[in-house]
Amino acid sequence: MTERLTYEELAALMKKGAGLSVDPREMENRSETPFDEFGLDSLGLLGIVAVLENRHGQPLPADADRCKTPREFLDLVNNSLMTGA
Amino acid sequence: MSTRKARRTVVTGIGVVAPNGTNTEAFWKRTQEGMSVLGRVTREGCEDLPLHIAGEVRGFDPVALIEERYLVQTDRFTHFAMAAADMALDDARLGRADYEERPFGVGVVTAAGSGGGEFGQRELQKLWGQGSTYVGPYQSIAWFYAASTGQISIRGGFKGPCAVVASDEAGGLDAIAHADRSVRRGTDAVVVGAAEAPLAPYSVVCQLGYRDLSAAEDPTRAYRPFTSDACGFVPAEGGAMFVVEEVESARERGARVRAEVAGHAATFTTAAHWEESREGLAHAIEGALREAGCAPDEVDVVFADALGSPAADRAEALALADALGPHSRRVPVTAPKTGIGRAYCGGPVLDAAAAVLAMENGLVPPTPNVFEVCHDLDVVTERARPAELRTALVLSRGLMGSNAALVLRRPA
Repeated sequence: MTERLTYEELAALMKKGAGLSVDPREMENRSETPFDEFGLDSLGLLGIVAVLENRHGQPLPADADRCKTPREFLDLVNNSLMTGA
Repeated sequence: MSTRKARRTVVTGIGVVAPNGTNTEAFWKRTQEGMSVLGRVTREGCEDLPLHIAGEVRGFDPVALIEERYLVQTDRFTHFAMAAADMALDDARLGRADYEERPFGVGVVTAAGSGGGEFGQRELQKLWGQGSTYVGPYQSIAWFYAASTGQISIRGGFKGPCAVVASDEAGGLDAIAHADRSVRRGTDAVVVGAAEAPLAPYSVVCQLGYRDLSAAEDPTRAYRPFTSDACGFVPAEGGAMFVVEEVESARERGARVRAEVAGHAATFTTAAHWEESREGLAHAIEGALREAGCAPDEVDVVFADALGSPAADRAEALALADALGPHSRRVPVTAPKTGIGRAYCGGPVLDAAAAVLAMENGLVPPTPNVFEVCHDLDVVTERARPAELRTALVLSRGLMGSNAALVLRRPA
């Protein structure tokens, strides 16, 4: 599967996994803002990585859960899914 | 300013989530009425287990009380603790504005014996049902005994000394003692207490091996300590949280001083050998009275541990006789937990809450479902008894051998 991860989907994952209500458009506009400021901690991001890995049936790069910002995370996930790494 | 030596710890806030009420007012109303809320276990997955009667917390809606980001990473026992902590802070009128300049002055101490069984079971079912990658990351923290301390601290921004006491059921009283020591060493205030949620399938199965767990099916006969029909105890969920603080700073900020934490002592005796708890509990009572500077006949009411098995009840009655002498036959003894069950570490802190409310209201609440007492104790049964109460003694024992006593006094 090579479907790209969008801000909408990331916001939905943050809601389901970490109980956070984040407006996807705001996240896209502030995509270089650290996850911390959206209320997402390292365990929350770890959970999102696991959901994506399960969904796509393939591992993400080992440093996926260390991404600091939504932009960094989306770029890493989408590059990884494109190349099927 | 008070000197280090003179620092004294007082209760300024109480918050309760109990089977007979999800706030302090409802809890006290039903406690002093002697209403029993013990009933069939209805929690999902528990219905067919050989534990029939428990004290369930009903009508508690965590979604209405706690932010979703905390709910997703916590178990029911922490939901209870967070809700009770909010109530205690409100009651103490201790808001962020009071401590944001001094966040290191406010600590958190909780006790836990059961942990987050419901959350843990859900994640373990994912592990064995779907695979390890389906286990959520919050499993690493939600089940853990320290979860409530950590989450209350994070949520409230309390950066002072934090601790969790894991010392069996009596740990509820030990937590209050720990908070008292923290205040006496210089901490401004401590949010302290315990709440448990042991009525989930995994947690219930863990308890089925307890010899003293009541297997009775009739809620009026399942938990009757100090009677010849004593057949064990009924478990419960819930608990209480307090705000305790140094008396002078409490008065300076205009807080209502509800009770003084006057003395505490704890001992340890062999698990499941109740006759040995006689000596351990007596020693704890003597130590608590000594710390409080309180003579035995100054004790106006005893909140008994009331385990509900004949050997344990006998040991407790004898411990009171050993420690209080002839006064043990005169002092009113009560065990309101017979109406709600034993919430493990939450049990003795609910008793401590009831003790403060009893002193404030001049009323010893009764012991529901207990009628004919077969020990040499004046157990208050059927209806609350009016009395001038200045000093309350709260007792607790755990199934694994812990014994503790706490002395609470009306503020001078």
